[in-house]
Amino acid sequence: MSERQPAELRDSIEDRSRALFHDSVDGLDFAMRSRLTQARNAAMEAASTGRPSWFSRIGIMKPAGVTAAAVLGAVLWLGSPLGHHPVTVVDGQTNLEDLDIVASADGSGDAMDMLQDDIEFYDWAEKTAGPAASG
Amino acid sequence: MPPFDTLNRAWMVWDGPAPAPEEAVLEYTRELEKFLSEIERRAYRMAQIALRDPDDALDAVQDAMLKLARNYASRPSTEWRPLFYRILENGIRDLQRRRSVRKRFMTWMPGAKQDPDEEAQDPLDNVADAAPAIPDVLMQGQAMQQLEVSLRALPARQREAFMLRNFEGMDVAETAAAMGCSQGSVKTHYSRAVHTLREQLGEVW
Repeated sequence: MSERQPAELRDSIEDRSRALFHDSVDGLDFAMRSRLTQARNAAMEAASTGRPSWFSRIGIMKPAGVTAAAVLGAVLWLGSPLGHHPVTVVDGQTNLEDLDIVASADGSGDAMDMLQDDIEFYDWAEKTAGPAASG
Repeated sequence: MPPFDTLNRAWMVWDGPAPAPEEAVLEYTRELEKFLSEIERRAYRMAQIALRDPDDALDAVQDAMLKLARNYASRPSTEWRPLFYRILENGIRDLQRRRSVRKRFMTWMPGAKQDPDEEAQDPLDNVADAAPAIPDVLMQGQAMQQLEVSLRALPARQREAFMLRNFEGMDVAETAAAMGCSQGSVKTHYSRAVHTLREQLGEVW
């Protein structure tokens, strides 16, 4: 069908579409021309300073944010008791008791008594295990 | 290459004062800005035809400008045009892909509204049936709308080949460089595009 069309008509389609396109380019409104100029200036500035403009910085920040979040998560995981062993209520209580002993600077109360008990226990354990270990 | 071509070129460079690196950078920066200012409106219109949305088109053009300026400014200026359009076309394809994913996602959302692009009335609906007297009556704006609709209906590669060859005036080799394909493929895509457009628009125009 189209092959039977005269060459003039075939040419006119390409010529006409080109003319229409260039007319539409010339007819761009002032606001859009201004936005294009701003876009060009931003691109040239970003390229000359090596600093990305605002819109491309968003693109860079996305992977950076994900990486930062991953690093933070890893630090929190490894730095917390969770990273070393499973936490239990008993562990939590033991830690609090240890802290209590260290924190009680006046040397009075149950904490110091408990520490004294421990010293006596270790003394007894050493004496008991001594002959067995040497024998 | 002639055997002493390099030496001749070296002598030619030596003969004149070689520009300092900063001056050279300033020179190609100015040249690049001139190139971009010449090309930006056509590039924008092409992106707009492909994407329909003016803001998306502007984003695609701005992104292409930035990538060209940042990564390829030091390349010979003869390479800028195919490089720029290659970057632009990649950007357009990315935006279209993202848009289709979003559209697919939105169809799963309860109470989601239809894509505004689809809600818009097809300009072809306003075009009267082809009659011998109609082409003379068609306004220029309507004709351009028809052309845009027909171009959007083309496969992406055909549209690309047609716009680069016919609108941007690139030769086959340059178009092949911009599209990242062989010159034979460019000819095929272009020929098919013209054929389809002729079938759709020939009788009306």
